Amino acid sequence: MSTAGGGSSSKPRAASSQPSETSSKRKRGVFQKELQHMMYGFGDDPNPLPESVALMEDIIVEYVTELVHKAQDIGSQRGKLSVEDFLYLIRKDLPKLNRCTELLSMNEELKQARKVFESDEEKLRKVFEVDNQLNDE
Amino acid sequence: MKQSKDPFEAAFEEQEDSPPESPADASADARQNPNSSIAAHSSQSQPQDQLQLPHDDNAKKGPSQFTPGSGSGSANASASGSFTATAGAGTGMKSKEEEEEEEEENMDVELGKFPSSGDPDKMAKMQAILSQFTEEQMSRYESFRRAGFQKSNMKRLLASITGTQKISVPMTIVVSGIAKMFVGEVVETARIVMQERKESGPIRPCHLREAYRRLKLEGKIFKRPMSRLFR
Repeated sequence: MSTAGGGSSSKPRAASSQPSETSSKRKRGVFQKELQHMMYGFGDDPNPLPESVALMEDIIVEYVTELVHKAQDIGSQRGKLSVEDFLYLIRKDLPKLNRCTELLSMNEELKQARKVFESDEEKLRKVFEVDNQLNDE
Repeated sequence: MKQSKDPFEAAFEEQEDSPPESPADASADARQNPNSSIAAHSSQSQPQDQLQLPHDDNAKKGPSQFTPGSGSGSANASASGSFTATAGAGTGMKSKEEEEEEEEENMDVELGKFPSSGDPDKMAKMQAILSQFTEEQMSRYESFRRAGFQKSNMKRLLASITGTQKISVPMTIVVSGIAKMFVGEVVETARIVMQERKESGPIRPCHLREAYRRLKLEGKIFKRPMSRLFR
C-alpha cells in the first residue's frame, strides 16, 4: 500500500504535475540550514529547536504558496507572472516594499557592473594576445 | 569567511565617490578599477575597493544578502568601515536592524519605520551603533545579514507552485526577500509572546503558532478571501 501523505518521501516530479498537493509531497528540511541561521539572526537561540525550524519552514512554504497564488490571480490577465505582481501585493507593507525595491535596484547595478567587467576583460585579453604575437615575432 | 570586500560594498562605495544619477556613473568608476584588479587577481592581493565580480560565491545566498567585509565576528575599524558602505541603503533594512537591537537591549520591540535620511547620516548612525556591539550582538547581526534562502531551492519551490512556469531570477530574489522579512516578523512576534509569558530559552512551536495567529489577526498573512459574510 503506498501512502502519499506524511511528507517523508520526496517526489518532486509528482509535485510539479499536481500543484495542489505539493505540500504533502515535498521533502522536509529543504530550507533547514538557512532557516536556522536566519532565526538566530532574528532573535532566536543560536541553536533553534528542530521542531521550531520545521514549523517555520511549513509556515514559510504556505506563505509563499499563498503569495504566489494571489499573484497569479492578479497577473492572470497578462498570462504569466511578473515581478510587479508581487510588488503590488506587498504595497501596503512598507518595509517589505522598500527592501524589495532595494534588492531589485542592486541586482540591476550588479548586472551593469558585470557587463562592464566582462567587456573590459575581453579588451584586456585581446590586448594581451596582440602583445604576445608581437613578442613572438 | 571572506577577507576581501564583496562587490556590493565596493559598488556602493564607488557610487559614493561620484554621486551618480544612473548606474552608468558607477560603472564608469568600475572601469578603471577592474583593469588593475585583473592584474592583481591572480595573486589575490588586498582588493580594497575593486569590484571582485567573479566572486559569485560571495553571493551564494543570493545577491540579496550583504556579506560583512571581515570574516570574524568582532567589530574592528575595517569591519565597521565596510558595514557603513552597505548599511546606507534601504529603509526597510534599517527598521529591521533597529528592532533587532532594541530587542537585544531592552526586550522592547517597536516595529517603527524610520524615514531614509541622507545616506551619510544613516551610515554614520550605523557605524556608531555597530562599533558598540558586543560580540554576541555582532555574531547575531552577521547571521542576520548573511542568512538567506538558496536561490535554487526557492526557484524549485516557485516552479512547483506555479506549475513549472519559467521563473525569472528577479522573481526569485523578490520572493526570497519577502520570505526572509516574513521570517523576521514571525520570530520577533514569537519573542514578544515569550516575553509576555515570561519564558526564556529557544523559541518553541507553541510560540510560533501564537505569533502566526497574531499576525493573521493583523492581516499580514495573505489568505484567500473565502467567505466575507462577517468582517
